[in-house]
Amino acid sequence: MKKSEKDSTFRRAIGQTRLTKITGWIILGLGALALVVSIIYSSSTLAILGLGMIFWGVILTYIQNEEYVKEPIFQSVGNSSFSTLNHILQRMGYSNKAIYLPPRYFKDPETSKAYLPKQQDEKRPTPEQIQAQEMHLFTENPKGMLTTPPGLELTRLFEKRLETNFTKEDLSYVERNLPKLFTEDLEIAQNVEIRSEDAKITVRIENSPFSSLCNEAKAFTDAYNALGSPLASALACVLAKATGKSIIIQKETTDRKNIEIEYQLVPEEPPQA
Amino acid sequence: MTFPLGFWDISLILAVMAIILLITSELLSPYYGKINIQINRKRLKNAALATSTLFLATVVIRIAGIIIGGA
Repeated sequence: MKKSEKDSTFRRAIGQTRLTKITGWIILGLGALALVVSIIYSSSTLAILGLGMIFWGVILTYIQNEEYVKEPIFQSVGNSSFSTLNHILQRMGYSNKAIYLPPRYFKDPETSKAYLPKQQDEKRPTPEQIQAQEMHLFTENPKGMLTTPPGLELTRLFEKRLETNFTKEDLSYVERNLPKLFTEDLEIAQNVEIRSEDAKITVRIENSPFSSLCNEAKAFTDAYNALGSPLASALACVLAKATGKSIIIQKETTDRKNIEIEYQLVPEEPPQA
Repeated sequence: MTFPLGFWDISLILAVMAIILLITSELLSPYYGKINIQINRKRLKNAALATSTLFLATVVIRIAGIIIGGA
């Protein structure tokens, strides 16, 4: 959709909101008037009409449009920070897939960070190594980068809406509650399916407005390949917290409306001798 | 000057309104793909449930009236 079309859609929506409000109050007033007249003239027809109008007037004024943000604004805000991250990764030569670390890797269990190894065959860090360097952007042992995932704030929003902390929950809780949160509460998808088999978790999100954001994120190749789109990143944080295991975004496919993300649970590193 | 409608009339109006609201709230559910309609679904659902409850209350009052009157 072009920008001018989106602007006109937005203006139309604002106009509709005002019109609904005015219509509601007019119907309410007419209904009250009809009811008063029905009592004076003892007219049951006017009474039914009045009650009906009062009812619909109340409904129209009570059920108003929800607050929403214009999609282009939402995309621009997301893209600018993602672009910065992409630039940093490009300049520093980080192109490997990020490992979303579970809370036990950090001193503060509320922390969520992704670790990007410098080399493909780099040994994965232990919780002790990360805890010793968790305030650093670049880790020395092993060589890598610790970054805040682009979807962290979205994860916090999920927690706020569900009134929980995913560290206290398990994967079955996520499987039960995330689809409902996405479809009924946040209304960002028509259907969400979470399948887990062995070390693989697949999330399929159908008919979501996020698919356009995910498609736009693909332009930032390095950040997208390493950390995934903001939604995939948010879900990776959720899964890392709920399973208590490190997560890698294996594959993310997006078409016009649907998103499918494959996550891989990283096996535990054997303790160092 | 008396109100021209009886208890049963009000009950019938409430029943019709409740049905309309319940069907609308169900049809606008995101499960049916209508996620682009900007309406407060929670409030619509609440209004539908409140109207249904009011209708059921009128039914309960009527049944209680019949039982007490019959005894």
